[in-house]
Amino acid sequence: MKECLVVGKVGTGKTLFVLNFASYLGFSQVNITIEYPDGRIKTKHYSIDTARQQLVGVDLHTTKSLQSIVIDIPAVKGVRRCLITDSSGLIDHIHQDINIRQAIAQTLSAIRQADLIIHIVDSSQVGIHDAPSALGEVDYQVAQFAQMRGGYVILANKMDIPGAERGLSKLSLELPGHKIIPISALHKQGFKEVKAFVRHHL
Amino acid sequence: MFWHEGRKQDSTIKRINSLVTNGQLTPPAALASLCQTTDPTTATESNSSDTLQQALSQLNNLVGLDDVKQLVLEIKALVEIQQRRARAGLINEPLVLHMIFRGNPGSGKTTVARILGSIFKGLGILSKGHLIEVERADLVGEYIGHTAIKTREQVKRALGGILFVDEAYSLARGGNKDFGKESIDCLVKLMEDHRDDLVLILAGYREEMDFFLKSNPGLRSRFPIQIDFPDYTLEQLLDIAQVFLSERDYCLSTAAREELSRQLRLTQYLQHSGNARLVRNLIERAIRRQAVRLADKQHLSRNELMTIEPVDLKGGSAA
Repeated sequence: MKECLVVGKVGTGKTLFVLNFASYLGFSQVNITIEYPDGRIKTKHYSIDTARQQLVGVDLHTTKSLQSIVIDIPAVKGVRRCLITDSSGLIDHIHQDINIRQAIAQTLSAIRQADLIIHIVDSSQVGIHDAPSALGEVDYQVAQFAQMRGGYVILANKMDIPGAERGLSKLSLELPGHKIIPISALHKQGFKEVKAFVRHHL
Repeated sequence: MFWHEGRKQDSTIKRINSLVTNGQLTPPAALASLCQTTDPTTATESNSSDTLQQALSQLNNLVGLDDVKQLVLEIKALVEIQQRRARAGLINEPLVLHMIFRGNPGSGKTTVARILGSIFKGLGILSKGHLIEVERADLVGEYIGHTAIKTREQVKRALGGILFVDEAYSLARGGNKDFGKESIDCLVKLMEDHRDDLVLILAGYREEMDFFLKSNPGLRSRFPIQIDFPDYTLEQLLDIAQVFLSERDYCLSTAAREELSRQLRLTQYLQHSGNARLVRNLIERAIRRQAVRLADKQHLSRNELMTIEPVDLKGGSAA
């Protein structure tokens, strides 16, 4: 089964995107397989609403493991089944907490194996700040890594926030040559295009 | 499904993860390292890396050949930097890796060529990295038009790897009317046509190869890498004998080592004495003789089964 890995800096809305995308595809209940950095694997059953309450947070580094959901994307003939995996947020510096560092190392391991990389950036932040400071070095490196291997899309998230349109324009200039889809993970906007992209690349 | 079995990690990602976990590498720097170690053209990057490491290890384990090893490392470094420059969008001259190997028989030319194939495969220069070893008879035909067909066939077999032409000077020995000249022309054209996935190595004795290149001035510039394989010293030949024996779980008694040294010293005065090949033949002959010596004995210790004695080595040079 192919894997779409969702990566990005902390606080860009990765977990909310994964859960709302599953919801958009028609899932009201999901089995989330959690891979902990120490190798333990657990599967937990959630309703989407409960998962949103428990897994989505405003604190940084809410996600400290790889969390995968099996999803079915409708295709011309039947469905295409894949794994969509949420990951721990990336940062530019070395975090003082070893648990966070282990989770980031796990994300880096998964990024190399993923069939499709979905890179989420906060376009509202890019709109407010200078692109280099809002994006961070890690975003440029993800884009460079993904450019070498294909199967890569940037989701410009938080388009519902004022200033995000300007951020989207800056993003296109800052990361040229990559496909960028504007979305709002909160309001499930832009998901039709994301679905088409994922289906095309599976 | 794979996530139930855990993710497989190659040595590169393990090393990078360890540095990130220990707080020695920032995530952007880790991603940059991943970029450098990821070959976008192939899905088997970890296999390539393993192939490369194995080949380099084989090269380092060869006795002597210090200049050759240094040159191979230079080629490897050049290739890696070229690849990184290409990723950075910088101008790169095309890599021309066709080579001339000059040295006496048994000086390690074929062995090094075979290892180079693996190294180039590991670096992503060659798709297969295999070695096709040919000589004049495999390339030169007997009637007009036959030579081009035979040469093309051999090149086709070697595509993705190395075509190693042993005693290449013999292609020019018949003068302009000989079909060997046609084979050289054909090889030159094909090596240019397939330079992205073929390395041609012309090998032979030093003096003959020098004469061959002088008589074909256009060839020298097409082979920018020329490697000399010096004869092994006596000590190096003894080390090679030790390697051959260790690989087969044998050893030399002190007296046998002296006897082998004596025999090798005698052959060193002979030109083209065979170098490492001579040592291998001597050792293989000694192993057969030891077997005959021990065959009738009822009780043999582990030490006796392993040890080569002077009597096993006596009886002239190798067959």
